[in-house]
Amino acid sequence: MIDVILSTMPFLLEGLWMTFKISLITIFFGSLIGTVVGMLRTLDYALITYPLGAYIHALRGTPFLIHLYFVYFMLPATGISWLQLEAFPAAVIALSLYTSTYVAEIVRGAIEAVPRGQSEAARSTGMTALQTMWYVVLPQAMKLMIPPMGGVYVIIIKGTSIVSVIGIAELVRAGEHATQRHPRELMLIYGMTAMMYFAYCYPVLRLARWAEAKFGSVRLPS
Amino acid sequence: MDWILDFYNFRVVAQYIPDFARGLGSTAWISLLALVISLSVGTVVAIMRMSANQLLWRPAAAYVQAIRSTPLLIQIYVIYFTLPALPLLGRRLDELEGGIIALGLNAGAYMSEIIRAGIESISRGQVEGAQSVGMTYLQRMRYVVLPQAIARVAPTLLGQTAVLIKDSSLVSFIGVFELFGAGLLVYNERLMPNEGYLTVAACYLAIYAVMLSLTGYAQRRLGGTAG
Repeated sequence: MIDVILSTMPFLLEGLWMTFKISLITIFFGSLIGTVVGMLRTLDYALITYPLGAYIHALRGTPFLIHLYFVYFMLPATGISWLQLEAFPAAVIALSLYTSTYVAEIVRGAIEAVPRGQSEAARSTGMTALQTMWYVVLPQAMKLMIPPMGGVYVIIIKGTSIVSVIGIAELVRAGEHATQRHPRELMLIYGMTAMMYFAYCYPVLRLARWAEAKFGSVRLPS
Repeated sequence: MDWILDFYNFRVVAQYIPDFARGLGSTAWISLLALVISLSVGTVVAIMRMSANQLLWRPAAAYVQAIRSTPLLIQIYVIYFTLPALPLLGRRLDELEGGIIALGLNAGAYMSEIIRAGIESISRGQVEGAQSVGMTYLQRMRYVVLPQAIARVAPTLLGQTAVLIKDSSLVSFIGVFELFGAGLLVYNERLMPNEGYLTVAACYLAIYAVMLSLTGYAQRRLGGTAG
């Protein structure tokens, strides 16, 4: 048993590294897209808010597996050359889009949680809408966004397990390969894989809970 | 007309309607059974977690943390691939049973958190009132606390059910035929990704729309909070 652990560990760690990389890149792009979408959704302008609402519902209403297959199989089928994506960018794009819907709801919730009087007061002192957003609303909303973002990060980490299906050598894939070399040690290998996810996600969840006690929180959309 | 057929050949989709219907039915059944498991497990775990007894709340907390910190896919693999023959069953779980149980246990952890929030929101006076008329602990839970708690979090539970239905697509990884599997079938037999996956996506969206309106209905009817 010890020799199986020792011989598969390097491969699993390599997989964990890939999971780590994908989740870091995704939280960056997902937050970026999500913040823009979320801020635009607070505008009182139906031509913007309705299409963005449709975007969020379309992604919320379908499994992530569909988004992944959409980016990896359906976009290339259009025949447009720059949509012929490799597995890695396809996985990152699909995960970022998926993540952006969660972030957008958090950003919107946090912005709407800042009392109206704050922005009214800022506007009455002669600030422009952008200045009000940047100097008054966002600094207050930011605190409320931090705790639920921990939950989003865990959702991303768990989401990366699914991109193994398009051949990315992340943790689940590494585990599958290891079980092919040691078919009698399935429980051990999948147990080790699960432990690695736990080691990555649990501290993030704890951190999120600590942040929630410190900053308060907006409701995390399920 | 031709460009439509090029992008989405509905004649091919029409040929596969029986498969999509079978997949949809399968997804519905899998989700329903997993939902029953998750609500039962969730209720028990929520009550255990609120107990003062360490032997009860520690295992319950460990279960919730373990589920929340690992991906569903790994949970499905662990339950389907690594569980040995079960004593009462006399054999190993097949892929359908393994998938349903994994889904149910996964959702159970999230449901338990929601139900716990519901129970904690019931005012102390309710429990004291029930105590003063001589109800036992189980009677209080059964007749006073749980009915109010579940009603209060019903919209959130429905939202989590929508997540459960989406998550059920992952059991296709261990070879269960369901809605997503129907899309895979079209892709594998015809190499037509749009016809397979867009149709599946439309079906999931339809289910989501139903769940969304159910949630809205529950919210108006029971006056709970938004999920």
